[in-house]
Amino acid sequence: MSNVIKIAAFLAFSYIAVPLAVGSNAYVIGLIVAALTIGGIAVAWALLGNLGGMVSFGHAAFFGVGAYVSALLTLRGGWPVFPAMLVAGLGAAVASVATMPALRLRGPYFALAILAYAEIFRILATEMKPVTGGAAGLLSIPRLPTVLGLDFGSKLGGYFVILTIVVAAMAVYHLIRRSAYGLALKAMHDSEDATRVVGVNSTVLKAWMLVVSAFITGMVGAFNAHYINFLEPDYAFAGQWTTLAIVSAIFGGYRTVTGPLVGAVVVYLVDQLAFKPILPQGHQIVLGVLLGAMILFSPGGLMPLLMAKLSRKEGPAHAA
Amino acid sequence: MLLELDGITVAFGGLIAVGDVTFSMAEGDVLGLVGPNGAGKTTLFNAVSGLVRPTRGKARFLGRDLVAMPIHTRARAGIGRAFQVPQPMHELTVRENLMVASRFATGRIDKQRIEEILDLLKLGHKADSDAATSLALTEQKALEVGKALATNPKLLMLDEVLAGLETAGKRAFMHTLSEVRQRYGLALLIIEHDIETITRLCPRVVVLNFGRLIAEGSPENVFNDPEVIRSYTGGEAA
Amino acid sequence: MLELTLQSLFSGVLSGAYYALIALGLALVFGTMRVINLAHGELVLLGAYISYTAEEKLGLDPLASLPLALAVVVATAMVVYYLVSMIKKDRELNSLILTFGIGVILTNAVLMIWSADIHSATTPWYHDATILFDTLFAMQAELVFAALGIILVGAVWWWLEKSWYGRALRAVASNRDAAKLMGVNPQLTEVLSFAVSGLLATVAGVAIYTAKVIQPAMGHHLTVKAFIITVLAGMGSVPGVLLGAVLLGIVESLTVTMASSALQELAGMVLFLVVLLLMPSGLFGRAKRRG
Repeated sequence: MSNVIKIAAFLAFSYIAVPLAVGSNAYVIGLIVAALTIGGIAVAWALLGNLGGMVSFGHAAFFGVGAYVSALLTLRGGWPVFPAMLVAGLGAAVASVATMPALRLRGPYFALAILAYAEIFRILATEMKPVTGGAAGLLSIPRLPTVLGLDFGSKLGGYFVILTIVVAAMAVYHLIRRSAYGLALKAMHDSEDATRVVGVNSTVLKAWMLVVSAFITGMVGAFNAHYINFLEPDYAFAGQWTTLAIVSAIFGGYRTVTGPLVGAVVVYLVDQLAFKPILPQGHQIVLGVLLGAMILFSPGGLMPLLMAKLSRKEGPAHAA
Repeated sequence: MLLELDGITVAFGGLIAVGDVTFSMAEGDVLGLVGPNGAGKTTLFNAVSGLVRPTRGKARFLGRDLVAMPIHTRARAGIGRAFQVPQPMHELTVRENLMVASRFATGRIDKQRIEEILDLLKLGHKADSDAATSLALTEQKALEVGKALATNPKLLMLDEVLAGLETAGKRAFMHTLSEVRQRYGLALLIIEHDIETITRLCPRVVVLNFGRLIAEGSPENVFNDPEVIRSYTGGEAA
Repeated sequence: MLELTLQSLFSGVLSGAYYALIALGLALVFGTMRVINLAHGELVLLGAYISYTAEEKLGLDPLASLPLALAVVVATAMVVYYLVSMIKKDRELNSLILTFGIGVILTNAVLMIWSADIHSATTPWYHDATILFDTLFAMQAELVFAALGIILVGAVWWWLEKSWYGRALRAVASNRDAAKLMGVNPQLTEVLSFAVSGLLATVAGVAIYTAKVIQPAMGHHLTVKAFIITVLAGMGSVPGVLLGAVLLGIVESLTVTMASSALQELAGMVLFLVVLLLMPSGLFGRAKRRG
């Protein structure tokens, strides 16, 4: 199947088939929206990890910043929702600039430095009461609006919004990967100096990946704020956002564009539908097991593993 | 003046790897850089291409101050470098290696030039197949030069690119280098151990010993200089 | 004001000794295997909960529950080691994610077994206050475990510097292959460092149970604290861990006294970032030469 057909099929499935099938079931749509929200963060995380070469343990920072910026702009500033969401993405991108000194750090240090930033933002959000409503949070955040007769404030409407954000994120990931920048980023994993010597400004390139990743995550956070209409620091900056995104991205295969999304949908739905009923407290243990199993047996993720097995069944091996 | 080095010193703690080196190159010059092992030749290269910062001294490239220039800016300004131990961008194909170099050093992917380089260096048949790591040593060395060429340099710095090649290979490479130079009008700064190669290629030679410049001139003069001979054969320390 | 500051400093030093106990295990494993065990906080937590169970069900004094807690925690640490040793490529980063996952497993396991309630030691002696020098106030538990903390740090330091095992550990840390050539079995030393790490975590866990409160969500929190201190200390420095921990303790304590208790965590994070960005090799670590 050529790529164009695959993409068209995917778009048709998500924009047409899914709404038709389960659009009226608020519970299912709600679940799917949640899964897509995680998927969005997962794509952004994978972009940073794969292209930027940096693993982050604090993506919740960008999620929360985006959520608060959009909520405050609409609630206090009277801004319309969609522009506010864009600015929220920019806000998260700007926040990522604050984290840039951490780019100099080696892998594990960077991962945890971002975690520290997430904690700092959370505490700031809790303490800056007059601005952020403090620990009590913000209520009655404006819903997604009605545009051209389409009510995006409904559950199904929200579905389309987040779906579009995630699809756009995947497109960005794909385009960067394919470009000369993607090549340079790939080469940088080997040796930054070797790329610098041929003119690549590796520091700036990595910084851009961080900015893009933060922007996407910020927009997803903003979407979430308008979807549930409520925000508080412990929720907005919860480690869960990061954890679920990481598990999804790694499970689905973070070196691929579609992996994180597929991972998010599978992991989240299975967790909510299968494990939560059985183990109401502590069902997330499954996530830990999944993560551990993935790292040990298939760091590339489960999806690539399955794909490889499937293609072996189909016929002679083709280039990966 | 293409390259001007004035009193360049690189010290690592108490160890002086490069001591007070001064010389210049004009556009199109071919200069040989020789000296016994550990004389500081590669460190000098590192200082010029930006991987190491000089402790003291001034350097200019086409009139611009070099010492404060970041590595990637130097590449864009026209300094190309082939490492002694080839450092290909492993996961990329040969062509992709050249594409990255071309795109980032010159601002656009010069397809024609890439084809020329592939042709000159006889890498055409391997251009799009496997990753760069699967190449044989000669081919990796060729790719190393190719990457530097793709950046459209005015100065090409070659660090012992002939090492490990047997005589026939050396001859072929030398021939290619001359072609390259003529085609693109580059200046060449060459580190080599093989005296015959240096004599053939370079009308001018500088000699380093223990980091210091001990001789400069034509190959005949330099290689008959008693101090140079002593530096190669041992004798008293500098 | 002076009294307040002195008390603040004193409390800070006490917390610091505590923190050192928590951090030392992490720093040890990091130093020898270059592995950041993100499940370390959960090991501490496990020690605390075993202590709680021993007190609740068996009526044991927390200190007396140490052997039992040790058995469980060290065994768990061994499992963690085993899993980490299975990683083939990219050990630094992959072990980070793996131990992150193990941490999630442990936290949720604790949640499932013990529920989310908060607990603290019920043996009264621990919570009794002591007054030193007529002005400085502390809980007896805090004093006991601060002292234990300092003793253990000293013991580990001596062990690393002077004993054969300790030297082997350091040899493996600096150059695995060379160590092998000299007859040192790297695997054995790594197992050993994880075991000692587990031991330290257990004591830290019991300490926390007696002097503070425990709840399942703490595991992650403790790991982050331990990591902050490891960064402050710099690689390879055991005294650095104690000093870094005390520094953190004092910074937090002063923040509580002079600003507000809510900013306590913030102060720690900011300190962490400042050190990380300005002095990457830590306050006491061996500086790396720029190639």
